[in-house]
Amino acid sequence: MPARLLSLLFLGTAALLLGAGGARAQMAADTSITAPPVAPPLKTNSPLYHLTYDPKLDIPQVGYREGDTSGAVFFIAHRAIDTDGGQGFGWLRKSSDDRDDGTWFALQEHPGLAVAPFRKLKTRDGDADWEYKFWGHYATYKAYDPHLDELLPVFVLQGYEVIGQTAPLRQPIGPPGRPHSRPSGASSRSSNPIQGGGGID
Amino acid sequence: MRLLSLLLSLILFGSLAARADTGEHVVLTGGPALRFMEHGKDASHDFYWFNFVDASTIWLKQIKSTAPAGDLVTWLVYRPSYISRSNEMGMDLVSQIAGKAKELGVTLYWFDTKEQLINYLNKGQDRDKIKITSFDYFGHSNKACFLFDYSNTIDTMSIAFLHVVDLKHIKAHDFARDAVCKSWGCHSGELYSKWWKDEFDVAMIGAIGKTDFSHGGLPALSDANCRWSQ
Repeated sequence: MPARLLSLLFLGTAALLLGAGGARAQMAADTSITAPPVAPPLKTNSPLYHLTYDPKLDIPQVGYREGDTSGAVFFIAHRAIDTDGGQGFGWLRKSSDDRDDGTWFALQEHPGLAVAPFRKLKTRDGDADWEYKFWGHYATYKAYDPHLDELLPVFVLQGYEVIGQTAPLRQPIGPPGRPHSRPSGASSRSSNPIQGGGGID
Repeated sequence: MRLLSLLLSLILFGSLAARADTGEHVVLTGGPALRFMEHGKDASHDFYWFNFVDASTIWLKQIKSTAPAGDLVTWLVYRPSYISRSNEMGMDLVSQIAGKAKELGVTLYWFDTKEQLINYLNKGQDRDKIKITSFDYFGHSNKACFLFDYSNTIDTMSIAFLHVVDLKHIKAHDFARDAVCKSWGCHSGELYSKWWKDEFDVAMIGAIGKTDFSHGGLPALSDANCRWSQ
C-alpha cells in the first residue's frame, strides 16, 4: 500500500476520532462580547418602583398590615437571621402552637399583594426577632437554598400584620438535621466545599 | 503491510459506524432573577434579563455552523422565570426567545419542571439512534446544582433545579460515548463535573470559581484565580 494512502487513512481516522472535540476547541475561542442593552424605565407603581423609591424605616411599624389579612386562621412568624449564611426567613408556627415549636421556612413573597416586611426597612436584618401574623399557606414544593445546600418548606405569603419585637427563640437556627457551627458552602458565590447533606432529597 | 491496512480499515469503519446515527446538540438555559428580589444587594444578579439567553444563542449559532449535517440542535429553556421577568418588565420575553430560536433554525422546547427536562433527555428522541453528542448549560449554579429558577420565585433561593443527586434519573444511554459537555455556570467544576462523569461516564467541563455573564456575551471566568476543569 502506498505510504501516501496510509497517511491519508490515518489522518482521516484521527479526524473522525477527534470529532466534535476538535471543532469545539475552535468554537470556544470566540467570546463574541457584546454590550447588554439598557433596561426599560420602571413602571410607575410597580412593586419594584415602590421598592426603589419608597422611604425606608429603621424598624417595622407595630400594627401595620399588608395584603389579605381577612382570614380567621393565621400563623405566627418569628424573624431570625441565619448566621451561617442561609436565606430562610425564620420560624413559622400555628397561632395555637408553643412558642418554640416553629418550623424553619422560606418565604415566598407576592409582589403587588404582600412582600417580606423587611422590604420596608433600611436593612434586611432590621427586623431580627420581630414577630408577625402571617396569612397564606404552605406550598407543595420546597425551596433549595444554594448557600447551604438545604431544602426548606415554603410559605406563600398573602398578608401580614406586625406584632412587635420579642425575645430570641431557643431553637437552633436552620432546618432539622443541620450540622451546626459549619461554614457556609455550596454557594454560587462561595467556593467552600459542601459540609453536609442536610435537606437533600 | 496487509495486516496494517486491515487494522486501519477496521478503525476507520468503526469510527464511521459510531458516527453513523444522528447526533443531538443540547443547549440548556436557565432563567434570570427578578430585579425585585435582587434590588439593593451588594452582589445583585441579572441586571440584564437575557444574559443566559444571549450566551446560549451565540453558542447555538456556533453549533449550527460546525455540527455535522443532519445533526439535531435543540434548545431547552426554563420558561417560568422568563414569564415572571416579562411581567416585571412589561416585555414579552417568551416571544422574543421563540423568535431567536426561529431565526437560528434550532428546535426550542420549553420546560417548566425538572421532570419535564429529564423526560426530554431520556425520551424526547429515540436514544438508541439519536445520542446527545454535545451538552451545554447556561444559567445559575453552585457546585452541587443547576439552578433554573434562582431568586425569581423566592429571594436568593430556587424552586426548580437539577441537583447532583437528581442525575441518577438521567440515563447514561442518552449520551454518545464521546459527547462533549460543559457547564458555563459558576462552580460546576468543583463537584458537579465529578458526579456527571461518575453517572454518565462522560466528562463535563465546569468552572472552578465563578463565571461572569454580565457583559452580555459568552461567559468568562470571573478572575485569574478561576479556571475550567473536568
